[in-house]
Amino acid sequence: MSITATDIPTIPAPKREWSRYRHPQSTIRFAVILAILAFLGWSVAFLNIDLSRILGAFPRLAEILATRYFPPDLDYVTDADFVRSVIRTLEMSLLGGFFGVLFSIPLAWLAARNITVSRRIAYPLGRFAIMGSRSIHETIWTILFVTVLGFGMLAGTLALTVFCIGFAGKLFSDELEAIDMGPVEAMRSVGASPLQVFQYAVLPQVRVAFTGIAIYTWDVAFRAATVVGFFGGGGMGWYLKRTTQQLESTRVAAILLVIVGLVLLAEIGSGWLRRKIGNMR
Amino acid sequence: MSTIDAPVSEHGFDAYLAHKRNRRINNWLLVAGGVALLGWCFWDTIMFDTDWQRMGGALGIVGTIERFFFVDWSLLPKLVVPALETLMMATLGTLLGCILSLPVAWFGAANVTPSKYFFYPLGRFLMVLSRSIHEIIWALLFVGAVGLGALPGILAVAMRSIGFISKITAEAIENIDPKPVEAIRAVGGNQFQVMYYGIVPQILPVIIGTIIFEWDINIRRSAIMGLVGAGGLGLVFFRQMAMFNYGGVTLVVLAVLVLIAIGEVISHYARKAVI
Repeated sequence: MSITATDIPTIPAPKREWSRYRHPQSTIRFAVILAILAFLGWSVAFLNIDLSRILGAFPRLAEILATRYFPPDLDYVTDADFVRSVIRTLEMSLLGGFFGVLFSIPLAWLAARNITVSRRIAYPLGRFAIMGSRSIHETIWTILFVTVLGFGMLAGTLALTVFCIGFAGKLFSDELEAIDMGPVEAMRSVGASPLQVFQYAVLPQVRVAFTGIAIYTWDVAFRAATVVGFFGGGGMGWYLKRTTQQLESTRVAAILLVIVGLVLLAEIGSGWLRRKIGNMR
Repeated sequence: MSTIDAPVSEHGFDAYLAHKRNRRINNWLLVAGGVALLGWCFWDTIMFDTDWQRMGGALGIVGTIERFFFVDWSLLPKLVVPALETLMMATLGTLLGCILSLPVAWFGAANVTPSKYFFYPLGRFLMVLSRSIHEIIWALLFVGAVGLGALPGILAVAMRSIGFISKITAEAIENIDPKPVEAIRAVGGNQFQVMYYGIVPQILPVIIGTIIFEWDINIRRSAIMGLVGAGGLGLVFFRQMAMFNYGGVTLVVLAVLVLIAIGEVISHYARKAVI
């Protein structure tokens, strides 16, 4: 009896599949993804959301826009009072952006870990000021300022200023933390004061970036300025509130068109300016 | 900077000095113009429009601010559910925003767009539209379309986040390294395999980082959705404001701060884990 090749049972090689994550990591990844999915499912159940309504919302929005909002009442937005409010919105955004940038530069200096005056006191203080003004939404700031100071553009401008401090302060301090420390140490070693260090070693490095950020801040502030009036902060937002509450949808549509157009213009303008300044570097 | 773009001419140093002088005059004119513009803005908005009588001097302002300092802690147990709602609204809104921004990013990325003349401008336009309309306005539109509740808040947050997510995603797609794509094509990978093994792994870290960043911002946004009728902490804020319970208002603001601090911690660790 001879053994032929076919009689030998072939032992299948253990199937090995390549996977990017080994045992502990793969389990952790799986658990995290499962937890996120569970949270999402729980949210849908907790908020009592009908998933089919989400998909239905967009056709419905389109239908409402087409039937109720459609012929935008363009006469309303060419009215002198409305044009005046648009100009005031622009003024508010300019002032808010300017003061916001002005106050956020020293705060960013305190909140930059590498060049701050003192890590124990000034750093957390600057960080907290920037974080605090960033965390609270600009509409809440508007309502708070309106409560304290009354209706009008002062409240709106202050709200925009606080908003810009948070927005620009974060970007500024990130930029400051990325600077080359060589000049700073050189200035310090020859006995320069913190202010001299900032003026001669830090500022020249970040001047161009700061200008770009300042322009971008104005762009974002203008977007926010279009709605501060909704809560009593002055500007065109007030017209939006009035027409919305009176259900004059065609006028709302016209105001929305104006907002989109202006924001588009502001974005194109700020993009052009930033590119120009970036080229000067 | 000024030495680089100085004109080179036979006049040499004099021309250079004149050029510098011109630059200085230009800078002064720019600064003077800016100051004049800001001064006019200041006069027109602050001095002209403000009702100084209503404020009642410095004492009146201090008196109003003082009322915010007596924090109404009794409201605290009633804030847990709205805070959770706000967090959930932000999460679901971010998720929906991601799903909706997939086609927008696909249309708006110049190298993979289905049609350069129709879909590319459409994608770009949708990105701008989503970012240029404030979340409050989106919420108003959706409250009109689907009624009160958390749903319009989720939809508004989603619409507002499409712009940013899809813009970053489109830029990431435009900047991918074409070599892996070509390699997969060369060994006979089909269109889906090219997408899944060639493009997705390259853009995934960027996208996840962006999504975490956007989620962080969306917590802020969903905290105000209640102001226009869409649940969460904003609704409690609105009610406390309407009742002139300023201590409660302060507590709601503190709750928003705590929520955002939690979000910041989570997003910090999440970003560390991904990158």
